[in-house]
Amino acid sequence: MWIEIAHFATLLALFLSLVLFGAPLAGMHWKNMAWVRVARQAAFWICGLLTLASAGLIVSFMTHDFSVKYVAEHASLKLPTFYLATAMWGGHEGSLLLWAWFLSLFVAIAAWRHWETHPVSMPWVLSILGSLQVGFLLLVVFLSSPFVRLLDPPLDGRDLNPLLQDPGMVFHPPFLYMGYVGFAIPYAFAMAALITAQGDGEWILATRRWTLFSWIMLTIGIVFGAYWAYYELGWGGYWAWDPVENASFMPWLTGVAFLHSVMVQERRRMFKTWNLFLIITTFALSLLGTFLVRSGVLSSVHAFATDPGRGVYILMFMTVLLLFSFGLLTTKSDQLQGATQLESPWSREFSFLVNNLFLVAGACTVLLGTLYPLAVETLSSAKVSVGAPYYNKVFIPIMLGMLLLMGIGPCIPWRAASLQYLRREFLVPAIIGLAGLPAAWMVGITHPFGLAALALILFVGTTHLRDLTGNVRQRMNRESISPQVALMRLVGRNQRRYGGMLVHFGILVMVAGFVGSGLFQEERNLLLSPGDSLRLGDWNLTLESMGQTARRNWQAEEAVIRAERPGETVLLKPQKRVYNEHSQPTTEAAIHTTWREDLYVVLGEPVKAGVWAFRVYRNPLIAWIWFGSGIVTIGVLLAMLQGRRARRLAT
Amino acid sequence: MKSTANKRLFLILTLLAVIGALGTLIFSSFTGALVYFHTPSETTAKGTELNGKKIRIGGMVQAGSLVKEPGTQKIRFLVSDGKSHLPVRYEGMVPDLFREGQGVVVEGVWRTGQDFDADTILAKHSEDYVPVEMSEQGIANSQKSLLKSLQ
Repeated sequence: MWIEIAHFATLLALFLSLVLFGAPLAGMHWKNMAWVRVARQAAFWICGLLTLASAGLIVSFMTHDFSVKYVAEHASLKLPTFYLATAMWGGHEGSLLLWAWFLSLFVAIAAWRHWETHPVSMPWVLSILGSLQVGFLLLVVFLSSPFVRLLDPPLDGRDLNPLLQDPGMVFHPPFLYMGYVGFAIPYAFAMAALITAQGDGEWILATRRWTLFSWIMLTIGIVFGAYWAYYELGWGGYWAWDPVENASFMPWLTGVAFLHSVMVQERRRMFKTWNLFLIITTFALSLLGTFLVRSGVLSSVHAFATDPGRGVYILMFMTVLLLFSFGLLTTKSDQLQGATQLESPWSREFSFLVNNLFLVAGACTVLLGTLYPLAVETLSSAKVSVGAPYYNKVFIPIMLGMLLLMGIGPCIPWRAASLQYLRREFLVPAIIGLAGLPAAWMVGITHPFGLAALALILFVGTTHLRDLTGNVRQRMNRESISPQVALMRLVGRNQRRYGGMLVHFGILVMVAGFVGSGLFQEERNLLLSPGDSLRLGDWNLTLESMGQTARRNWQAEEAVIRAERPGETVLLKPQKRVYNEHSQPTTEAAIHTTWREDLYVVLGEPVKAGVWAFRVYRNPLIAWIWFGSGIVTIGVLLAMLQGRRARRLAT
Repeated sequence: MKSTANKRLFLILTLLAVIGALGTLIFSSFTGALVYFHTPSETTAKGTELNGKKIRIGGMVQAGSLVKEPGTQKIRFLVSDGKSHLPVRYEGMVPDLFREGQGVVVEGVWRTGQDFDADTILAKHSEDYVPVEMSEQGIANSQKSLLKSLQ
């Protein structure tokens, strides 16, 4: 019953999406705003209908309606309620419905919030978003429908993939999708600005919050995914340069480039074409991310289904989008002459330009590594893979370059800096950065990349702190107030700048985590019997006992390991789980997290009676990655509050 | 005092240098990072040509071929594509999804005339998580499709 309601609501939403696409065009043709108002109402109705459709699918899961094919394939009677409710996006069809629902939600919000402020571009914005909604709903209704009934319903379902029965995996897709879909709004505004010849930058101010929102959702989604990979997959790492991970990383990189280069357009009226190029690319890569993962082109745990019809449709969708966007950009680019020119390499705009080159080079690196195997496979019969060494080789130098620019960019003035200014601003940070080298050498960091990263972290940290303390002191003297009040007023006056600096600070913390866990991970493969022990770092680990444990839908073999170091004792319990509906065992690593390092223990198979294989890792500073991403989130939220200047510019 | 034209030239040269360095970095790292995938039949046929190269071999772990050396993590098994099979050696912890009758991809350096010494085992996730009580026919079908997806 519920699934029919959901199906019908989706069909109706598809019809209304056609209205959303067509009505504004009609309105502009006949110069009648009534049509555009109809489209706006349609946007609200689509949102309501798709909310109903998603709710219908979730209710079907909650009521164990195994006559629905999608439910039968992704749930079972014993699946805990929490995972039942979220199994909606446990597979390919439901994920696309979730995508379409987010899109309808964002379109409705955009139609509501920007209606009065953007009367000229609104018809185009609605029409473009309507076409995207049509594209997605066609896919949901005709090619990957989650509403299909089974004639012969099974008594119990096949259960959700055990790897997905995990809180990290529950939150990873929705955040990622919110990021992907969110970029549709700036994209639509950018296209509307091009069509109505208002490419001057008003669209950038209008969509600043949307861009920040999308980017931070994407960031959170990626970090959730990495965290999930870390504690669920049991190989001691968090990022494998898997094509599916890469798919989400590409729009992230171009998104960072976009966030920075729009500032140049706002302040210096330059990079207009470049910004349009970046937002088109970012949104196209977001779509590519969704499609690569959901079309089954890539073989990976995420790619559930293979269906050639779907692949062809998706390819056509992408082609139309790219032809339309870049075609529009080339035909309309004559209105996009920059008002000013670059004057000096010692300027903020130049450092942002180089930052953009680095980020786009990073995105190209990932795109090449991800698509090259697909191209080889299509053009010849050979199959090829691009391994992690390639990415690490390219990304570490790029990351170091980015760090250097991160220290310079926010602290160098627009247009041109004098030599005296450069010396005043950067000499002390450079000395502090270099002074860190011998200190790091003595602590035991000898790897050149590790040393460079540490020096750069110190350099960037110092430039940012000096900027902050300098401004606070100035304000204290001028207004004779306490440092706390001065800091509050300073940040309150320009949330965007200090939000951005907080993001940079979070990135530094994350980089420390990457370097620590990347260069100093210790791994041991060994066989243990109860009573055996080993040393790792300053930890002493002893296998106490082996036992059995069980929950509602799984049983497990469990080891109890006592980890001790002076002043601290913990018990680690790694498991080998077998879920009832699945014969394959899954590994549950036991992790003990401290700010200094993680202990990470994986249980293997018994090699003979009473002897088990274990893999033990010591991952230094890895918690800094998760902690740093929290700082990044707070920084972005601060920046989204809009500083006074941004508000003034917006009106 | 530099002229404006000079300044612009300097800017453009700087940019070109940055782009050139990034391009070189990407492409020099790319060549040499590629690992080709072969089936056991192809590997046997190309034997000497592949000697000393890092390759991936994919197929099914042949039922009944898995031998574990007691008291160690050393294992030996046959990777088969239905027509031909290759002996593989490995030492270490195997992935959860590794077992007889399942799809597998092994990576290592190929030495003609020797057992393939794998340094990595990648167990393929079958597309659907098939329940245990599936029929013989169903298993045969899923093996066929899995084998196809591996090639």
